[in-house]
Amino acid sequence: MGEQEDQNTQSTSNSGQAVRATSANLNPDISAIGDFRSFYTSDGSRNWDAYVQGVELNFSSAIDPYAKAEFYPVFEGEGGELNAKIEEVYLQSLSLPYNLQLKAGKFRQAFGRINTVHRHALPVIDVPVAYENFFGEALIDQGFSLSWLIPNQSFYQELIVEGTRGSEESPLFAYSEENQPQLLAHLKNFWELNENSTLELGLTGAIGDNEVSQKTRIGGIDITYKWSPIRYNTYQSFEWQTEFYFSEFEQSPTEAINAWGMYSWMQYQLSRRWYLTGMYSYSENPQLVDFEEQAISATFGWYATEFQKLEFGPKLSTQNSFSDSAFSGLFRWVFVIGSHGAHQY
Amino acid sequence: MEPININPFYYSISQVFIMKKITILLLSFLFTIISFTAEAQIRVVTTLPDLASITRHVGGDRVDVFAIAKGYQNPHFVDPKPSYIVKLSRADMFITVGLDLEIGWAPQLVQSSRNNKIQRGNAGYVDASEGISLLQVPSSTSREEGDIHIYGNPHYWLDPVRGKQVAETIYHHLSDISPENEALFRKNLESFKQEIDERLNDWQQKMEPFKGTKIIAYHNEWVYFEERFGLEIVGFLEPKPGIPPTPSQLVSVIQKVKNDNIPVLINSPYFSSKSPEVVARNTGVEIVKLATMTGGYDEIENYFDLFEYNINALTESLKNRQAN
Repeated sequence: MGEQEDQNTQSTSNSGQAVRATSANLNPDISAIGDFRSFYTSDGSRNWDAYVQGVELNFSSAIDPYAKAEFYPVFEGEGGELNAKIEEVYLQSLSLPYNLQLKAGKFRQAFGRINTVHRHALPVIDVPVAYENFFGEALIDQGFSLSWLIPNQSFYQELIVEGTRGSEESPLFAYSEENQPQLLAHLKNFWELNENSTLELGLTGAIGDNEVSQKTRIGGIDITYKWSPIRYNTYQSFEWQTEFYFSEFEQSPTEAINAWGMYSWMQYQLSRRWYLTGMYSYSENPQLVDFEEQAISATFGWYATEFQKLEFGPKLSTQNSFSDSAFSGLFRWVFVIGSHGAHQY
Repeated sequence: MEPININPFYYSISQVFIMKKITILLLSFLFTIISFTAEAQIRVVTTLPDLASITRHVGGDRVDVFAIAKGYQNPHFVDPKPSYIVKLSRADMFITVGLDLEIGWAPQLVQSSRNNKIQRGNAGYVDASEGISLLQVPSSTSREEGDIHIYGNPHYWLDPVRGKQVAETIYHHLSDISPENEALFRKNLESFKQEIDERLNDWQQKMEPFKGTKIIAYHNEWVYFEERFGLEIVGFLEPKPGIPPTPSQLVSVIQKVKNDNIPVLINSPYFSSKSPEVVARNTGVEIVKLATMTGGYDEIENYFDLFEYNINALTESLKNRQAN
């Protein structure tokens, strides 16, 4: 029989409050997330591997009544080694006037939907090929981000504008030697269709210098439909998310490569702990002509609790033609300790 | 040449202009009065509908209240939809159950609201667990124990006496925000407390014959209700809080029900009925669906209805079991 009140608990008169008052709650919330992977692939001389994809730490706390801070040091797996870096570090205002919110530091930029989400939180093991071709590991940069909650009483609208120094972690942008900030704008529109379903439509545009000292322009459209019956939302849910990317990469003042890419995934919650996600992604390469890549995958997820999940599934990817296709079997185990905050809806 | 008055109610152009101006001024004044009266309402957003119900009792017509969660929804797992941020951005007050019950969704919404008034530590942020005498405060914490609440069991609103403390807390914060209405809030508070006391007598009388009755529950959310009304919850379908029922746990519960002749198993609106039905098929135990929040079922329109519904459902079931 499950013992849910054992010798470790006690009735109390206000001692819960006393615990809260004297505890070390001035310390930040701290969490650590482990991402372990294994795969089999039909491509290459070595067909399998098992490795730690990364460890993400998070320190989060209010600085004072005016702002909070987030730190994300990560250890990224590469060639069997774990290399440390700071993925994000920023402060964010809590209460500016006129429904504004300011962020400053190093952060995942507000491009589309999945760029702001840490990989371990995605319902798929590998990021879409379109995302990888356009943004590499992620579109992360250093600078300012100003968000405005548009005073629209009919539905949620948020406008985000960002000015950053020039992303060196993304293939399409670079730090400029000129006085040219990288600029981004994202408009998020969110509707509650009824109490069980929602629709989000986002539009993004970014412009900045690239590695050949010309301009790169990227546009994006993201559409997300979610259904989750309020009464039984721990047992059933459905999500359909699609993003399109369009880029213009100037190679010289007179030459540019235009490319596009997209992904679309559907995730269905089969039961309390089981999820199934099917994803298709197509991408041209923003820096190469006559190159296209496609991938289709299925991911089964077993979410033991909110703090641990196991995922596995097949993936078929092709480059240019089906003769360049590779089949993979993927496995991922994500686990969290500490007090990790909630992810965005 | 004099104008010909073809209409006895003929007015000159200047008279019409003056009348139009006066009409516009009067209408503007009227709308100003109306908008002033409307804006005098304190906008309150609560996490749960019971906090909303209590706030309506205490605040009366001085408050405009919105509850984020629905009464038939699992309060641990509310989706933090951006649309709630719009409500929070305009709120004068935000009321939370606290004790980390809403840790998975509420803090993110409040911090995204851009509303200084309702940030933690400010006058409009209300933790309804203030002054509550808590049960099941763990002396050691580990997630090995499941999804435990490290500050104590947070489902305290399921005790009407503690509900009076919640009302007291809300009264103090409303009075801080709107001191000119303090007398009204005090009157409403006393009326609320009096009604709780009167109805509590009635509820306890109904439950008196069943004091000490052993029952099974799906999740550990009834400890305050159990304490107040003299029940004894001897087991749960969840082997540990937040862990779905396992076959071995169900076998254990079935054995317990048979050995102790346990009459009822209580379930909540947002938990699956599959596991309770397995236990019922194997033991004959009666499944009673109780609401944990206002709005959990259509008949439960306010905080008083919550206990009325639950006490009636429980006593009816226990009487039937006794009769059989």
